[in-house]
Formats: sequence, C-alpha cells, structure tokens
Amino acid sequence: MLFYTAQRLVLSVVIVMVAVSILKLMLHVVPGDPAVLVLGPRATPELIERTREAMGLDRPLLVQLVTFFGNIFRGDLGHDVFTGRAVSRIVLEQLPYTLILITVAIMWSAALGIVLGAYSALRRNTWFDTLSGIVSVGTISIPAFVMALYSVLVFAVWLRWLPAIGAGEGFVNSITHLILPAFAIGVSWVGYVARMVRASMLEIMGQPHVRMARAFGLSERRITRSHILKIAVLPAVTLIGTGVAHLFSAAVFVEVIFARPGIGALIVQAVNERNYPIVLGAVLVTTGIIVLATLISDLVIALLDPRQREEL
Amino acid sequence: MTDIKTANPAGFGRRAFLKGATATGLAAATMPLGSRIWAQSGKVLRVSSYADIDALDPGFYQNGYNVDVMNCIYSKLVRYVPGREWDWELEAAEEIEQVDDTHIRFKLKKGLMFTGGYGEMTAEDVKFSFERVLEHDSPVKSDWGPLDHVEVTDTYEGVIVLKEPFQPLWTITLPYGTGHIVSKKAVMEATESGGNFGMEPPAFSGPYILEAWKPNQYVHLVRNPDWKGEAPGFDEIRILPMDDTKTAERAYEAGDLDFTEITLSSLAQYRGNEPKDTVIEEYPSLYYVWLGMNLDNPVLKDENLRKAIQHAINAEQIIDAAYFGEAEPATGMIAPGLPGHRETPLVPVAGDLDKARAFLEAAGGPPAEPITIDALNATVWKTMAEVIQAQLSQIGIEVQINVQDSGSFWTLGMESEGDRWKDMQLVLNRFSMLPDPYYATSWFVSDQVGIWNWERFSNEAFDKLHQRALSESDGDKRAEMYRKMQELMEETGAYKFITHEGTPVMYREGLEPALRPDGRPLFIGFDGET
Repeated sequence: MLFYTAQRLVLSVVIVMVAVSILKLMLHVVPGDPAVLVLGPRATPELIERTREAMGLDRPLLVQLVTFFGNIFRGDLGHDVFTGRAVSRIVLEQLPYTLILITVAIMWSAALGIVLGAYSALRRNTWFDTLSGIVSVGTISIPAFVMALYSVLVFAVWLRWLPAIGAGEGFVNSITHLILPAFAIGVSWVGYVARMVRASMLEIMGQPHVRMARAFGLSERRITRSHILKIAVLPAVTLIGTGVAHLFSAAVFVEVIFARPGIGALIVQAVNERNYPIVLGAVLVTTGIIVLATLISDLVIALLDPRQREEL
Repeated sequence: MTDIKTANPAGFGRRAFLKGATATGLAAATMPLGSRIWAQSGKVLRVSSYADIDALDPGFYQNGYNVDVMNCIYSKLVRYVPGREWDWELEAAEEIEQVDDTHIRFKLKKGLMFTGGYGEMTAEDVKFSFERVLEHDSPVKSDWGPLDHVEVTDTYEGVIVLKEPFQPLWTITLPYGTGHIVSKKAVMEATESGGNFGMEPPAFSGPYILEAWKPNQYVHLVRNPDWKGEAPGFDEIRILPMDDTKTAERAYEAGDLDFTEITLSSLAQYRGNEPKDTVIEEYPSLYYVWLGMNLDNPVLKDENLRKAIQHAINAEQIIDAAYFGEAEPATGMIAPGLPGHRETPLVPVAGDLDKARAFLEAAGGPPAEPITIDALNATVWKTMAEVIQAQLSQIGIEVQINVQDSGSFWTLGMESEGDRWKDMQLVLNRFSMLPDPYYATSWFVSDQVGIWNWERFSNEAFDKLHQRALSESDGDKRAEMYRKMQELMEETGAYKFITHEGTPVMYREGLEPALRPDGRPLFIGFDGET
C-alpha cells in the first residue's frame, strides 16, 4: 500500500509538470503579447521591448520553462503583470472560494443523490423509481451555467430571497451567497450520483453475500446499510474523485455568472488579459488539486474495498 | 433578556435552538438583500464596474475603471463637470489660467491635506506628480505631450511650462488620469525612485480613501477624514467588478446595485418595462466602431474595390441587427459633442448599392477568392460581421468571417507579432476615446502603421494636420482640421464608420448620479438616496 501510494504520488507530480508544460507551450503559440496588454496602446515600441525583456518573454521557450519550474520549487509562481502582486498570493486568495463552492456543491448533491439512488433501488419499478429516473436524467442534462442563470432569475431577481452576486462577508452572509452557486453546480451531480448508486445497489443486491446475510436472518435495514450501500457508494466515490475536474469547469461558468471570486473567474480573466503568470499559476494549482483528488479517491477505494486492498 | 428568561424557565433546549435557528435563517434568507449585504450605518452607494482595478498610480494609469477610483481618492487641478456637455471646473486649483500658448499658471487651494501625515498639498507635489510621468517613461506619457517642466513659484503656486502649445491639456491631461496629484514625500518614501507605486497608494488626497480592495470582489471607498473640501454625497462607495454587463443588470434587478451601466440590447428590452423605482438614461458614447481595410493587402490594393465595399455597407442595418437599433450611426471617428465631429460622412451612412456596383465594375468584378473579415468573438461583433457578409454578397463579393478572442484579435495588425497583418483584409474594429479629437487621430498617423494603424493608412497631409491641430488654439479652425482628416481617411476607401455605440445607465429613483457627457460615472458627485 505504501509503495503504491509513493508510486502514485510520483506519477501525480509528473502529470502536473506535463500538463503545465503543455499549457506553457500553448500560451507561447497563441497570439497576444502580454507586454502590449500590460502597457496599453500608447506605450512606445522601446518600452514594450524593455517590458518583454523584463518579463522574460524574449528568452527561448525552453529557458522560460526551466526558469518557471525552478521558481516553482522555490515557491515563486511569478507576479501579476498588471498589479505586480505575487501570483501565489492571488491564487491562494481566490482558491478557498472555489474549494468551498465545489465542496458544498458536491456534499449536498452526493448526500441527496445517494439517498435518492438507494431508495430508487429499494423501490425498484415503483412510481418513485420512475420519477427519480426522470429527475436524475433531467438534472444530468442541464448544464451548470443554465441552472445558474435560471436560479439567479428566480431566487434573486424575482423572489429576492438570495443575493445575485458576490461572495458576501461574515459567516451568515457568506452562506447566503453560497446557496445559489452551490445549487447550480450540484444539481447535475444529484442525477449522476443517484443513477450510479441505484445501478450499483441493484447489482450488489443480487450477489451471494447479500443472500447469505439474509439467510443468517439479518434485518433488511442492516443488510442494506452494511452489506449493500457501503459497497454501492464506491463507484460514486470514484465518480466524485474523477469529477473534480468537471466541478472546476462548472465553477468557471458559475463564478462568472455570479460575479463571485474564485479560481475559475481568475483564470477566465487572466486568459482574456494574456496575464500568463496568473494563468500558469492558477492552472498549476487546479491541476494539482485534480490529480490529488483522483489519487485520494483511488486510495479511499483501496481502503474501503478489501478486494482492492489485497491486490495492492 | 429578563423577559425571555421568565417566559422560558426550562432553558434553551434543542428544540428551542432548532426553532430559533430556523427562524433566524428564514429571516436572513427572506430579508431584502439591500439590508442584508453590508448592513451598516451611513449612506452607501453600490455600483458596478466593467473590470477590477489593476493600477492606482495616476502617473502610470491604464483604463477608465482605474481612473473612476482615482477620481475619488486623489485631487486634480481641474475636473470634468457632470452633465451633457464637455467642460471642466476647478478642483484642487483655486485659480488656473493659460498665460500664453505654452504657460499655464495655477494656484492651489490651501488646506488640502494628504493622509498619513504627509502634510498639505503644495505646488512641489504638483511638479513632482506631473514630471514623474515623463521621468519614469510612463506608458501614458503622451498624455503630457510636450511638457517641459513645472516651475514652482510659491508654496501653492506654479507654472506648467510646455515646449509647444498642446490643446488636449485642458480636455484630457489635467482633468483625467495623469492630472491627479500625489504626495511627493509619500511616493518617494514608498518607491525611493518616485516610480510606479502600483496598487498601494502611499497617501490619499481626495474626498475618499481606499478602505479595502478585495480582488475580483469589491473596491471599498470611505470618506477621507482629512478631507476639507465639499463633502461627497455618500459615506461609502462599493464598486463591484463585473466583466459581463448582463450580470450587473441582474444584480441591479436583484437589488444588489444602485447604479449600473446596461447593454444596448437590454435597453431595448427595458423600454417601457424598466425595473421598479428605476430611472434609465442614455448617453452617447465616445467609442467608435468601423470596418477597416488593409491597404497593403494585395487584394485590397485596388481603390475601386475598397470603395465598392465601402458603399455596399449600410451602417443603419448593422446597428439594427447588432445594437437593436439603439445606437446612432457614426459619421467619422469623432463623436457628437467633440470638436471635429462631422454632420455627414462622404459615404452615405446607408451606403449606395448603385455606386458600389459601379466601383466594383471599375475594379474588374469581385475578387476570385472570398475576402476575410476579422472580428472579436463576442455576439455583437459576429452579428456585425454576418450583416456585412450579407450586404457584400448583394454586389457579388463573398466574405469569410474569422472570429478571434480578444488577446489574439488585438495583436492582429501588429508587425511585432508576426506576419498575420499581411493576410488581414477587412477588420471590424472598435477603439475607446477620450474627450479630445487628437486622441482619435493619433492612431492613424504614419508612425502608427503596423502598430495600431491596421489599415496601414499613410498620408502626409493627415500627419501634418494632426501635428498642427495639437497646437491650434482657434476652436473653429481646429475642428475644421479634424473634419478634413476624417475626409482624408474616408477618401482612401479603407474606412467605413459604423457607430459610436451608446452608454445607457440605470439607477434607483432618488439617486442623483453625476455622469460625464459620455455616461461615465464621476462618483464623488453622486448624491441623493438609494
């Protein structure tokens, strides 16, 4: 298990480095001079050239890449080309907003999805199961940004129950600002998780160990909780782990629609401004989180599933 | 508290807690947002901005959204007067006069204090603030044109000395970005060299101070306790950055904002259906939108072909489709209200298909291959390009549309960015503008070819007029020069002016906004109730 963990950690670092290198290459190829953007239209060509030199943009790509990784290992992600602030500081300021948003979104959707999926499996082929199926497929097919737009319209503009923009200040105020964005991101996950848990439960319910448990006279409640649901949620854990990337993508749209701070909004803004240090810094951190989340989900499954644990 | 204890002798149990928490939650959730968000005493103005601030040093400013904040936290000798016509009024200056073409004498008001114990504003601070723009090679040093130096004649008095006359001084330099005055002592302490202090102003001198800036969240301005001038109308200003104006509209409708700019497409929807207790006003914008043609592209070398394209385009149809008919057609680069604005262009706004066909015949017919039109990837630009595509198809010219993201688009015609400029043919462009015609014509002089002059228009007469107009003190003569310059551009066939767009705004009834003639907010002049 320890060797497996170490192996996966090394692989994770390699994946992050490759992803960031590809991004750096793409940024190099895409037209758009950060020096021109930072200085504005009235800067002289000489000043633009000096700024390009100061930003290291005149150096060969490989040198830029080596310098970038060298700086990362020293904890330096560079500086925002407009404000001069440290990228690490900017990313760390924005990251908590996104992490809280996607954590809350996945928590409520997973909780509801597991209940919905489990109940559907237990009441298979009833009206509830049919309704749950329709709702699940319906929510899966609604993109987060559509849900965001309509939830703003209904709950903020028409009903005025919840705020339309920002992240709020103070605990209660921040919670009220979190509800709609977390709802918008989480809705489609309710469907995913419910479908996954239902299918998984139906499969497990017919397995020998469940029949054995019934033969031993265990109560249905105990069989469901300890022998079916515990195993049935494993695919959902994998789904959530690998779905972190999708959550970040959804957060990009939702943060823009709710004018909410966060890493998604930061990346969108930085890409539009050709603010390369921020793009690279933010993508490095998000890639790291996504890779880490996948690793954790694999390790959790290994811990929960004795069969996998033994294989390792 | 005593009453509660008497009424609930059993104490605060789990059920009571849940009840209380539910009630509190419901109360918080159903409370009107205006009272829920930033609930504090005093008058608070909540406004949107199209971008988050990223430069607070006036000597090195970029973009209007930064200047909106600078207007609140620093003083200038003169400032724009809110209203429908461009004018300026005294701010930090008690007196200011143009002594001759190259000398401007000023006298500061006494008692204007810098925060942080940096003392009273003096003529030495004015000298420092203006000269550092040139000394440190600021990217916006062109705002100061031919500034030679500032002569300090007294603690509060001085003379701005120019190398040659410079008319934009009164319309752009003094009342806008680089006209703001910073504390010499504070800046020298903060930067040692007197250079760019970035996002951390070492001292404030305006009616407000920057209380907090949470990147991508808000800019929070509060009253400057050291401010001795006329008190501004609000105790606090919250500026919320929103890249998307539609988001700002929804935030306004949800009660999160008191004032916001709106899109022209929404203006059409809001007509007769405006949100409750709301005033909607329209202001002309200074932006100018045009279709440019690359004069150095082999296909467009033929003047007749360019003129055929120019005459085939109907700006009114484009405005109807892309701006829902809510913008006025442009007659040139210079917007109404500014010297040099033309009442009519050489090429009719609606075009002339017969003339277009005649020019095309003279050119030997349409090009064999479709010509390209480059545009930004936003809906409005795509729509404009599609309308132009349809209009040109009427005379048999095929058009291929290339949409690009902003970073890619804004380097399209730059020689320093490779050879893409060579392939560029038609381009839909939009430039921002400050309230002086020189700002528009300066992008089209020969020196700008391959930088911002993407049509690669080079005309000696134009260049000379541009230089002469900078120092022409006779307003009528100057205006005539700018009209002539626009004619010279149009005569090449490489320009079809489309619109200046517009700046519609909405705000709560009771609020008295102070806006420039182009609809940009001057927050220190805002008053009334929200």
